[in-house]
Order: sequence, then structure tokens, then C-alpha cells
Amino acid sequence: MSFFQTFKREAKTIFSDIAIVLTIIGGVVLYSFLYPQPYSSQSVSGLAVSVVDLDLSDTSRDIIFKLNATPQISVTRVDVSEKDAKDALLEDKIKAIIVIPPHFKRDIALHKSPTIAVGADSSYFLIYGGVLEGAMKSILTEAATLKIAGLLQRGTPLSGAKEAYTPYSLNIINLFNSQNSYTQYVIPAVFILILQQTMLIGLGILGGGVNERQERRGPTWMVMFWRVLIFGSIFFTHMLFYFGFSFEFFGVTHLASIADLITFGIPFILATAFFGIFLGSLFSSREIATPVVLFSSLPLVFTAGFVWPLESVAGILQLFSNLVPSTPAINGFLKLNQMGAEFSMVLPQYTILWTQAVIYMFLGYYFINKKRKKYVNN
Amino acid sequence: MFKALEEAFVSELGSIKNSTYKLVLITLLPLMSFGLIIAIFYEGVVRDMPIAVVDGDKSKLSRQLLFNIESSPTIKIAQSVDSLQEAIELVQRGEVYGVVTIPEHFLRDTLLHKQPHVTAMLNTQYILIGKILTAALSATLMHSAGEVDYVETLMRVQNPQKSLNVVSPIGMQVTPFFNTYQNYFLFLVSALLPAIWQIFIVITTLVAVGSLFKSKNERLFFKDKYVGMRLIGMMLPYTAVFMLLGVLYLFYIYGTLGWNFEGSFAVMLFGLFLTTVAYQAVALLLFVTGFDYARSLSLGAVYTAPAFAFLGVTFPIFNMNGFALFWRDILPVSHLVALQISQANYGADIFLERDKLLTLFAFWIVFVPVVFAFKKRLKV
Repeated sequence: MSFFQTFKREAKTIFSDIAIVLTIIGGVVLYSFLYPQPYSSQSVSGLAVSVVDLDLSDTSRDIIFKLNATPQISVTRVDVSEKDAKDALLEDKIKAIIVIPPHFKRDIALHKSPTIAVGADSSYFLIYGGVLEGAMKSILTEAATLKIAGLLQRGTPLSGAKEAYTPYSLNIINLFNSQNSYTQYVIPAVFILILQQTMLIGLGILGGGVNERQERRGPTWMVMFWRVLIFGSIFFTHMLFYFGFSFEFFGVTHLASIADLITFGIPFILATAFFGIFLGSLFSSREIATPVVLFSSLPLVFTAGFVWPLESVAGILQLFSNLVPSTPAINGFLKLNQMGAEFSMVLPQYTILWTQAVIYMFLGYYFINKKRKKYVNN
Repeated sequence: MFKALEEAFVSELGSIKNSTYKLVLITLLPLMSFGLIIAIFYEGVVRDMPIAVVDGDKSKLSRQLLFNIESSPTIKIAQSVDSLQEAIELVQRGEVYGVVTIPEHFLRDTLLHKQPHVTAMLNTQYILIGKILTAALSATLMHSAGEVDYVETLMRVQNPQKSLNVVSPIGMQVTPFFNTYQNYFLFLVSALLPAIWQIFIVITTLVAVGSLFKSKNERLFFKDKYVGMRLIGMMLPYTAVFMLLGVLYLFYIYGTLGWNFEGSFAVMLFGLFLTTVAYQAVALLLFVTGFDYARSLSLGAVYTAPAFAFLGVTFPIFNMNGFALFWRDILPVSHLVALQISQANYGADIFLERDKLLTLFAFWIVFVPVVFAFKKRLKV
């Protein structure tokens, strides 16, 4: 079969297969809108909290005011007994209870250091963390105010007291994703995984189908060339669509230059295409690719290192996850596009991707030939 | 009528026995996926996160502070560099997660009550890691500054307890309700396992009916008018297997990990049953859209793969938009996980759980159009 006949045949098989088209075109576009949906409000705010004020003094009211002033907390109830608050918590009307003890104001004046109790629903970690962050902030501010007042009483001038309430302080600066936005956190990484998984499913259905029908087709290298070219150009377009349109649409940071993104994107697309061809050569029917790729998704997300620190993952799992293009690709793209790294800083990931591309190319070639020898007919 | 159900049941059991793919799909693969997720989070606690430090003071006080930071189990000082620029490059390379900078004249300014600022720049691109580091550094700094403050106050007031109270005029006591908040493992695993479980139910259902139609044996299988009965008979072996796998993951979380389970096991079991059948019905609905095996798998993938994000365990439900809430509602697993959490934590009785259970049951209605579609397709 000639070079262009092979092309025609590959293209026809790909575009006449609804399952493939649905995945590599419909799926990619659909996912790009579906995945960001849960995080549209970006961060956790306005958590409903009840304050049980057992002191009813101006100091306790001041604390309630300060709690309400934090973005995380919204004091929706002030209860007079812990039981009322607890009932509201069980009915899911509030997420946390903050108890200001009786004689709170008096104990502060007597330097007895009264304790504010904070209890929060810890079933959901962003809720728990948010309540804690807000409560900590307001209570520390209140404590600082009290210490400044104490210093003023002892005759320290106001300007001095403002600095002397603590010997030194911590100033935390959020480098990258400074708003702690969940969209910025999840989307740039998950989108890379979506590109990979949909391409793998597409090539897997194709390869499995060819094996199933025992089609010999043109010379192996030609078949591989055209598959890489067809899938590569479709996914290259998808990649530009994600980085260009979707990131802009969902307000995701994009710091990398277009040249860097493309330079890094090429080995990613090639490695994924050859990996998909290799996987497809192993499948004996059209229907194996989707389940296999689907089941790998969650483990791949959590071994890519952006949700869960790689330092806490066993070495063997890290190694396995680096055999798949998404792991180095997510790392590299996050560094370039979210953290504004120089290209030289992603060279390790860049090298891994090229290495994968070469290895999977040979593996694909070897296994397609091997399977072909086993075909009964033709 | 029940003869048809029984016949279908026996026939499907035989087909499972003869198909390695089906067998692997209901035993080895789900167990391996569960195992993989458990293995990833096995350490549970995040510790020794590498950071870089820039010590601009190199005094006794700054060394003391760095020593305290290093003592935090969460943090490891991996590198000490001379310039901030160098440190930020290390963050961009991914070698460290943040930089702590101690300013010049740190000791002098502290003694002069000028309150110098220690700066921590953290890589909050990784939100979870950023939050953990923020908490650990804040605690360490507060503690270290408190020590200095305490010594000074003690010299002035000459009373240890009073000095302590002057240093921190208000105490804060934190109580996590329902579960001890120390282990991210539990949070993630308790939602990830059901998220994987539901993918298997849908895929297995599609494989069962899909392979039947692909091998063109559907008329042999649905040989009389009892299409619904035969369909139920065909699904039953899988219902049993997936309930068993559901019990298994629940037992792992609440049995072996020692996480509290306040609720009733019977209610949970009932929920698992409703959910399993709900997913089987929805999977069949996806199949009858075209009676095409591979295409229905693609639809199943779109439907089940993003479920984890919509569960509300990581990102809370009440901050989600309308569409996200809708998508969440049409995923049975989100109602199951809600049931799981409220059973485990609050131990609510079945009456209080009726909404969740009824919602899960509502998915069963899908079975009606499915049977009609099958009948139409088979022309019986």
C-alpha cells in the first residue's frame, strides 16, 4: 500500500468510528467545560459559624465582629447555649461552633488567659481548614490588640507598642496562585491529564479495533507515521485551545511564552501518541482501551505531585508514574506556565518526555509487527 | 416469569466464568485500583517538606529560629542560600516548596522592639502543600516569638504563670468534630474509593450487555417477552459483587483504619444496594442510546471519570455553582458519600436519611425506559 493510500485508510478508520470521534473531539471539548465547574467560586468563603457567647461583653462582641470580618467565616448565629449550636450543626445549618467562655473579659483583665474553644466539622478538610484559619486570624488580632493596650497602659508610646506586642512576626507571601484559587490549582494539571487520557483512549480503540479485525494495512512505519500525524495535529490544536481559550476563559494564569509552551508541548504530544500506539497494539479489541485508561486516571492525578507531595509517595510509585507522559508533562507545564520558570528549569521533564517518545516508538513498532504475525487471515 | 430471571442469572454466571476479561474486571482490577490508591496515601501525614532559607542575620537568635523550624516534623530545611533570587529559582525548579528569609539585623531589631519580619514565600500553586506549610510555619514562629517574649516578660513580672498569660492573653482550643484532623489519608481515601468503585459498576455493566450485543447473541439471551426480568437476572451477579466490594472498602476505612463509625451498618448496606442498582440502571441507559459497545464506554467514561471532583469532599458543595450542583445530583455516588459521611459522623437514623435514600432510589426509574428501549430494539 502506498504512502497516501495508508493515510486515507487510517483517516477513514479514525473518523468513521463514532467512539473515537466522540472521545478525541467531543470528550476533549466537553471535559474542558465540565471539570472547572465545581471550582467556579475558586476558594472557600463564607462558612456558616455559630458563636456561643457566654460572656456578652464588649470584648466578646468585638471578637464576633472580627470573626465576621474574615473572608472565611460568616457568623450566621449567636447562640446562648452550646446545645442550640450543636443542634444547628447536626442539622447542617452551620459548619463550626466557637465558644467564648463566661467571664471572658474579666479573665483577660486578670491575666488569666481565658480560652476560646473552636470546634469545626472535620469531615471536609477545606471547611475545617477555612474555619481554623479565620478563627486563628481573628483571635490573634484580638490578642495583639489586648497586648498593645497593655503596653500603652505601661506608658509605651503607641508607635512603639504597635511593634512591641511581639518580638518578631511572620509575613507569609504566596508565590504563584497567590489567591489560593482552587481553579488555578486543579485545572492546569487536570487539563494535561485530559489531553493524555483522551488521546490514549482514541489510539487504544483504534489499535484494538485493527487487531480485532486483523487488518494488516500498510507498512508498520507508515501506519505509525500517519497515526502520529493525525492524532498529533488534532491534539496539538486541542492543546492550543486549552492553553489559549480555556485558560483565558476560566481566568487561569499563563506566564509561559507561546514558544516555550510549543517547544515543551511537542515531546508531550509525541510521547503520548507513541504511548497510545503502543498500548493500542497490545489490546485485542476496541473495548479494552476505555476501561484501562479510565482506571489509571485517579492514581495518575495523585502521583503527579501537584495534589499530594511526591515526598510522601513511595519511590516505586513515583517511578511507575514517570513512565506515563502526564507526570513529567504536568510538572513541566506547571513550572513554565503557572510559576514562570525558565525553559532550562524544565529540562529534566523535557528529557523524560523525549526519552518516552523514543522508547514507546520502538515498543509500538515491535508489538504491531509481533501482533501482525499472529493474524490468521490475510 | 421468575424462571426467565433465574435462567438469565445462571447464564450470566456461566459467561463470567468463561470470560477472563469479566472476571478480572470484577475482582483483580478493582482490588488493584483500591490498593494503588491506598498505597499512594499510605504515609498519610505530610512530613519533611523541603524549604530553602536565606539567613541574612546569622546571629544566635536567627540560628535558634532556624533550629525551631527544622524541629517541626512537617518541614525540612533542604538548602541554605545567600540570595532570595537563588531561593526562588529553587522553588521554580521544584526542589523546594518555599523560602524563609530572616532579615538583616534580626537580633538587633528584636532587642530594640522594632519587630522585624521574617518572610516566608510559599509555593501556593500546590494549595494543599501551601496550606500545610503555612500552618506549620505560623505555629513555629508563634512559638519561637512567644519564647523570646516570655523570657522578657518573666524578667519584668517575675511570675512564670502570669508571664505566660501576658504573652498569650487569649488561648485557643481546637476540637475537630467527628474525626481527628491529622490525617489527609482518611479524607481522600474515603472519597476516592467510592469514586473508583462507581467507575467499575458502570464499566462492568456496559461490558456485560455490550459484549452480548457485540457477539450478536442478544436474541438468544432475550428469547421471550420477559426482557426486564432477564435484564435483572443478568445484572444480579454484578449487583452482588459490587455490594461486596462496597462493603470491603467501607470495612477498610471504618474497620481497619479505626475511623469512627457512629451510624448503622444496615442503613449503609441499604445505601450501597440502592447505589449499585442506580448505577447499573444509568449504565444501561447510556447503552440504549445507540446499542454500541465502544461508544457507550466512551459515554460511561465522561459520566463517571470526573465524579471525584463533584463529591464535595475536597471542594465544598456550598461554594459550587448551579451547574456543578446539578451534575453532582445526577451522580448517585455523591448521595452515597453524603450518606457515608453522615452515617459515620452523626449516626443519623434512617428517617433522617430518607432524602438521600429516596434520591438514590429515584435513579431506579431509569430502568423503565431502558426496558422499553430493549424491547423496541429486540422487537418483542
